[in-house]
Amino acid sequence: MREVAIIGVGHTKFGRLNDKSLLDLLCEASLEAIEDSNTSNTDFDSVYVASMLAETLNHMTGVASALVDRIGLLPAAADHIKNGPASGGSAIKNAFYAIASGACELVLVSGAEKMTHITLPGGVTSAVATMTHHNAERIHGASLPSFAGLLTRSYMEKYNVPKEWITSIAVKNHRNGLNNPYAHFQKEITLKKAMESPIIADPLQLYDICPISDGAAAIVMCDANIAKKYCDSPILITGVGQATDTHIIYEREDVTVLNALRICSKQAYDMAKKTPNDIDVFEAHDAFTILEAIQSEDIGFFKKGEGAKAAHEGLTEIGGKIPINPSGGLKARGHPLGATGVAQVIELVWQLRGEAGKRQVADADTGITCNFGGFGNNIVSILVERM
Amino acid sequence: MNSKERIEWKKCNNCGFLQYPTHLRCLKCKSKDFILVETSSVCNLLSYTILNAPPAEFRNQKSLALGIVEFENGIRALGQISSKEDLEIGMKLKPIYKKICENLDGSEVYTHIFEPI
Ligand SMILES: CC(C)(COP(=O)(O)OP(=O)(O)OC[C@H]1O[C@@H](n2cnc3c(N)ncnc32)[C@H](O)[C@@H]1OP(=O)(O)O)[C@@H](O)C(=O)NCCC(=O)NCCS
Ligand SMILES: [Zn+2]
Repeated sequence: MREVAIIGVGHTKFGRLNDKSLLDLLCEASLEAIEDSNTSNTDFDSVYVASMLAETLNHMTGVASALVDRIGLLPAAADHIKNGPASGGSAIKNAFYAIASGACELVLVSGAEKMTHITLPGGVTSAVATMTHHNAERIHGASLPSFAGLLTRSYMEKYNVPKEWITSIAVKNHRNGLNNPYAHFQKEITLKKAMESPIIADPLQLYDICPISDGAAAIVMCDANIAKKYCDSPILITGVGQATDTHIIYEREDVTVLNALRICSKQAYDMAKKTPNDIDVFEAHDAFTILEAIQSEDIGFFKKGEGAKAAHEGLTEIGGKIPINPSGGLKARGHPLGATGVAQVIELVWQLRGEAGKRQVADADTGITCNFGGFGNNIVSILVERM
Repeated sequence: MNSKERIEWKKCNNCGFLQYPTHLRCLKCKSKDFILVETSSVCNLLSYTILNAPPAEFRNQKSLALGIVEFENGIRALGQISSKEDLEIGMKLKPIYKKICENLDGSEVYTHIFEPI
């Protein structure tokens, strides 16, 4: 397999972006990534577009074909990748293998979602819930926030964890997001304020839950052998993993264990010949605070049941043992579904290039992501290193 | 009781693994050879949540109580709980079959909900 490099990134502001369409957002991030990678006059072999709900929320199919046409990349191959909220991670994985195999040299990955225009109460939650098991979960009114509530209660009971420890993750992520100019929320919150916020899926509260966001993120990837031609500081993707788990969450022997993450992160670590000890920074999929806690365990940083405690003790702060979500995570950066997996990798690129400003993790050489498609049933991990 | 009103899972005849009935091949061993297993009438609450932001289908309700339950023979289920008060992990519940909502197209949804005993 050939080595694969990231040579450019583009990231729109995340948040409520009223006057931009899904396609506008994809174009903006893509053109910025092309400019950043100095490939403005170069032909691309392939384009992978990630978005989960384009048909449902934007009444649009053929998104990838439309993008290449608008941004002048004809006749590049163009595919629309849909793997729920892990569409971004899946698109990067596909681009990785396209280059690693020798089939492609220069590839664009662009992920986006446009969600905030939906005014029907419960409309977005209902659209997202179409990825749950129809008979076993969805028809009962189960939604992603409700799964997170059920999981939080099981975790607190099983490991004897106070809610404050879990919610401290949101406080940390808001603090990090304050220094991320692209974040949906750039404001600090106190633990007290978070613990007083409205209950959404008991015991989870508003400030434990990612917002509904618009936004796009794009990266340019190429054969590492030619990366220096375009860019002084390419970042290598050295590990990629993806695994699945039961569609129905309560069919898992222990709902607090993310078996798909254990498997896909091991694939990524093994491919890169790394271990959790080698990782300097982790971008987690904290759609709900509880997810960051259990992901930090199953990806190998903390013992089972100790992830929330570690966050509470400050071990996951920038400057801590293993900084998690210096970007602000889904909680503060926001969660435009298809953009998230790409934005996670972009944050690692900025961290490894040393361009993360006030949220810079010192001496970051190696980073890993966890991108969730479904509630733990389809997970992608990407491991990146400085070249 | 017709078959829809019963909660049934499949048990693999090859390896004995108990699973939700939509699996066409066994989750553990890939066998297609199953027998149907019914639940007992009483179950235990494993976890619950009160959802204050229900999906659009439940537009007429401000909140929903949802639980994951386990029957004596190991069959699990997820469903609404008829009460939002005094819920506790480990409490006993029984399933009832009823209409729970109307979809956005007006079609009616019948399924199980769980009632504290
Ligand atoms: C949590 C949720 C139900 C809140 O929805 P809502 O009650 O409609 O919230 P609103 O958009 O009306 O926001 C109310 C206020 O809280 C703020 N707010 C909203 N979500 C917030 C969040 N997650 N964190 C902090 N503040 C938040 C808003 O900025 C707004 O403040 P303002 O009045 O000062 O502008 C909704 O954001 C949600 O469903 N999130 C989860 C999305 C999801 O499931 N994604 C997929 C996961 S894989
Ligand atoms: Zn079997």
